[in-house]
Amino acid sequence: MKLPFELLFWILALLGIAGIDVGSDASHFSICPLDQLGISWCPGCGLGRSMKLLLVGEFRASWAMHPLGGFAFLVIGHRIVELILNIKRTKHYGKRIKASS
Amino acid sequence: MANVLKHLPELEGMELGYIQGILKNMDEEQATLFAQVYRARRKDNQMVLVLCLIGFFGFAGLHRFILGQIGLGILYLLTLGLCFIGTIVDLVNYKSLAYEYNVKVAHETLSLMSVNYELKSATPKNEGNEADK
Repeated sequence: MKLPFELLFWILALLGIAGIDVGSDASHFSICPLDQLGISWCPGCGLGRSMKLLLVGEFRASWAMHPLGGFAFLVIGHRIVELILNIKRTKHYGKRIKASS
Repeated sequence: MANVLKHLPELEGMELGYIQGILKNMDEEQATLFAQVYRARRKDNQMVLVLCLIGFFGFAGLHRFILGQIGLGILYLLTLGLCFIGTIVDLVNYKSLAYEYNVKVAHETLSLMSVNYELKSATPKNEGNEADK
């Protein structure tokens, strides 16, 4: 079965976030395209690290890093569930009819 | 059996196939009503693409709002589309996003119509019963 692209993206994003090392935050590795362009700050900076800090239970540090960490978890989790439920529904409509006849 | 090309000629790809599967069970009158309601409610994937592109100018996530995903819309808006990464992913994926929304709309339209019509009377099995009456 082929997974939807977006579902794959969100799952890989969460896995990637779980793998972030938040110990040394002086010069962290970043895949952010703005960071690659040399722009040092954007409103999303620290969201990933905030979510990782939430995973390891450091709530206060997580809030200080980025206040939306918990919100992001809720919303992305909800989206993943929605995408999984959608896998069956967005298949070809006619299949169900064929099966019944 | 109604033809999707006659009622909704602007559809393409996966959506065309999906709507054809729905219209297969309808007569012409039902298909006309379905097409009217569906056309008024569906979102064109080009609109999703354009709103997604606006994300590169600072207002990210407008396409998520339009598609009814308010939570993700707020998250995108406040984080510049997850630092552009989310915007770029949705740029690749915009057709699936629109398709997912339109399938939802098609089902809503169907359930709206089934209040007015008994859709089952359009299937071949029950046509015989109508003829008896």
